[in-house]
Amino acid sequence: MIEGLMANILPMVFIVIGGVLISWSVHFVPVGGAPAAMAQATGIGTGTVQLAAGAGLTGLVSAGFMMNVTTNLPLILSSGAVGAMIMMSVTMIVGSWVYAYGVGCVPASAKVKVDPITKYRQDIYVSQGTEGHGLPTVCFVSGVIGAALGGIGGALVYYALIEVGISAGLSAGAAASVTGNELVGIAAMFAIGIFFVNAVIPSYNIGGTIEGFHDPKWKKWPKAVISSFIATIFCAIVAVIAILQLGGI
Amino acid sequence: MSAGGSGGAKTAYPPNTIMAIGAVGGLAGIYLGHFMPPAYSFFGGLGAICAIVWGADAVRRVASYGLGTGVPSIGMIALGMGIIAALFGLSVGGIAGPIVSFIVAGIIGAIIGILANKVIGMGIPIMERAMVEIAGAGTLAIIGLSVVIAGTFNYADVVQNVVANGYIALIFIIGGMGILHPFNANLGPDETQDRTLMLAVEKAAIAVVITGFASSLHEGLMAAGLNILVGLIIWAFAFMKYYELVKRDAYSVVGTGLLPSAEELQ
Repeated sequence: MIEGLMANILPMVFIVIGGVLISWSVHFVPVGGAPAAMAQATGIGTGTVQLAAGAGLTGLVSAGFMMNVTTNLPLILSSGAVGAMIMMSVTMIVGSWVYAYGVGCVPASAKVKVDPITKYRQDIYVSQGTEGHGLPTVCFVSGVIGAALGGIGGALVYYALIEVGISAGLSAGAAASVTGNELVGIAAMFAIGIFFVNAVIPSYNIGGTIEGFHDPKWKKWPKAVISSFIATIFCAIVAVIAILQLGGI
Repeated sequence: MSAGGSGGAKTAYPPNTIMAIGAVGGLAGIYLGHFMPPAYSFFGGLGAICAIVWGADAVRRVASYGLGTGVPSIGMIALGMGIIAALFGLSVGGIAGPIVSFIVAGIIGAIIGILANKVIGMGIPIMERAMVEIAGAGTLAIIGLSVVIAGTFNYADVVQNVVANGYIALIFIIGGMGILHPFNANLGPDETQDRTLMLAVEKAAIAVVITGFASSLHEGLMAAGLNILVGLIIWAFAFMKYYELVKRDAYSVVGTGLLPSAEELQ
């Protein structure tokens, strides 16, 4: 067991880096939760975990798709990043349409007077009694950055777990049957497990809403990243052992 | 979007009793489902129901303090930790697999609980204990529902019959729903423990029915039918009971009738 872990030290480092990236990425995504769903706060009207999971899992799927044709790590990571970025962008643009044309409010934040990217003044557009509404430009850009990091993190974890399985003598290629690819199934489930752990830890750090990298809460990210770093080390050890055992069957 | 109030939850059944039911009942169900012939794999489902009720109670206790984020997140971390611990324990444990998973889940839960309180500074006094309980409950729920599908918790069989064909994703979501949904649906000033836990039984029974359908692929129609039947009986009982509790806790339940027609309004 120990030799197996020592032989797979590089994939384990990848898994930990991936976990840390996922944890950091969550701080970029504009999450408004229930208040945003009622247009009383900026961001997307759902919880951090759901959004991070959505971006990460899309990244995982697109990375897995790329792994069908190549083992080139940069290509796999960029595929994961692009998949997650598309998912998050689509979510945010449709959210913005709903706010603008459905709810009838302009994207504006009450936390900062001027949008840091467009330099447009927004405090005059904020509805009374709200913290803002919609997705201002800076939130959108921040969300895309977060999705890219999350997608890279998810792809890195998945790639590392597949590499561990291949080193244990399992095959990850396109199977003849639709079902029955043990390695892909187990690597994907471990990646999802690690993803959820690392998406929830930062959501406790943020505690409610975050608008992206201009939000005052954003400065709290080191705490969550340290927590995720420690938690992911244990998850990585456990996942690598379980996959190596699969090779022994 | 903080959920619940700030302070401990009022309890009728003490946490230790529920923990005993969840841990002992969960493990007993898993082992019975493993050692009995495939037709009796519904015992795994009964174990999963015990574990899900325990998980829902632990979520209820910790979420009553106000997490600062949604209740669903804690259910999702339960299954995230649970899936890692479950697959690891089954892979190294052999016949002691579920117990190894359970212990590993406790360790991962304790680490995350300590990190949440000490590093992130959530300041919830029961966070460490609740995380251990939630991770353990999530693990037992996953293994229990896997036993329903595969009829055994043998690592090779679970990987082939539950993980490789993707049923594990199904278990992940319905198990998570059972743990996170009861408190999320009942929270508020009039939340009562027995009502929340009865909803957990009802959700867990739905999970048994769904995994029962999935079990037809490997265990044949007879065993699958028995799994579904057991799940449906428990579901019907729990649903009636839950409806009774809702009526008990409601201020009053009145029939408003249908909307009046255009002629009646004139």
